[in-house]
Amino acid sequence: MTDDLKRIFLEACVLVAFGALFGLTMNHQLVLDAFAGRLVPQVNAEQELQQNVPLALPMPVLLVEVQQLLTDGGLLVDARSPELFASGHIEGAISLPLADIDDILPDFIALTDKNRVVVTYCSGFGCPDSFDLGMRLIEEGYSDVRVFEGGYPEWRDAGLEVAEEDQ
Amino acid sequence: MNRFQWFLYHLVRLSLALVFVYAGAVKVQDVVAFAGHVAAYQILPYAMNYLVAATLPYVEFLAGVLLLLNVRVRPALVVIGGMTLIFMVALVSVLLRGLDIDCGCFDPAGGQDVSAGMALLRDVGLMALVVLTWWLRSVLMAGSAKREA
Repeated sequence: MTDDLKRIFLEACVLVAFGALFGLTMNHQLVLDAFAGRLVPQVNAEQELQQNVPLALPMPVLLVEVQQLLTDGGLLVDARSPELFASGHIEGAISLPLADIDDILPDFIALTDKNRVVVTYCSGFGCPDSFDLGMRLIEEGYSDVRVFEGGYPEWRDAGLEVAEEDQ
Repeated sequence: MNRFQWFLYHLVRLSLALVFVYAGAVKVQDVVAFAGHVAAYQILPYAMNYLVAATLPYVEFLAGVLLLLNVRVRPALVVIGGMTLIFMVALVSVLLRGLDIDCGCFDPAGGQDVSAGMALLRDVGLMALVVLTWWLRSVLMAGSAKREA
């Protein structure tokens, strides 16, 4: 019975290893890019043209570049929901949730110089809100909008300063 | 093993197989979106979310296919049971931290939000099916061994 169980667990391990290896083979570039911090939002330029969206796109920036931009006077904008912002956000960021953008944007525009560097972020990989918010800010006339694709998870996991309940 | 047990074994085996084949197949079509769902759990470091998203769906799919083919059933059940257990721990952690996220259990780009609580209930059901399939498989094999003897 014990030998039987050992064989079953061994075969289960082989199954997991085989599946993981196959997955890594299919997605190796994606994983390498993720670990190297080289991922950028996927944009279909042709589709954007057809939809008459401005060609200017928010530039993706890495963690170290975000830190430098903040030192140089850049403004960090959190595109996530107010609840997520309250539960934890990058120190110094302001909340500009994409879901409520139409209500909040006039106040933001009134208070923020359109020549100031604005860096948007949300919940990291797979989260499109920071990119969509960046596009919206460009449409509103902001001249230098960047997207921190790693977002809050990368900042937090790097052990950098975060804040809570500070809207 | 009586006829009812035989029928039940194949029913639960095929049900589990279809769930995991489907779950794996839809996720591999949009690994980036699935990585976003994994990241929303706020458990893993940043890049590890991508590693999980790149590998987990293939393991799900492979285990589901083995169950579907009725080959290496018990190893496949160990893998499916193990994954379900990990999902349950992650979902309990989400509930304890009060995070409001979509579980990302199936189609990551489908927009069909399933709360952590509902996903946890579903995983409890899946785990019950895993245990039932294991037990029925043991009964089936014991019956075969008895006939051979």
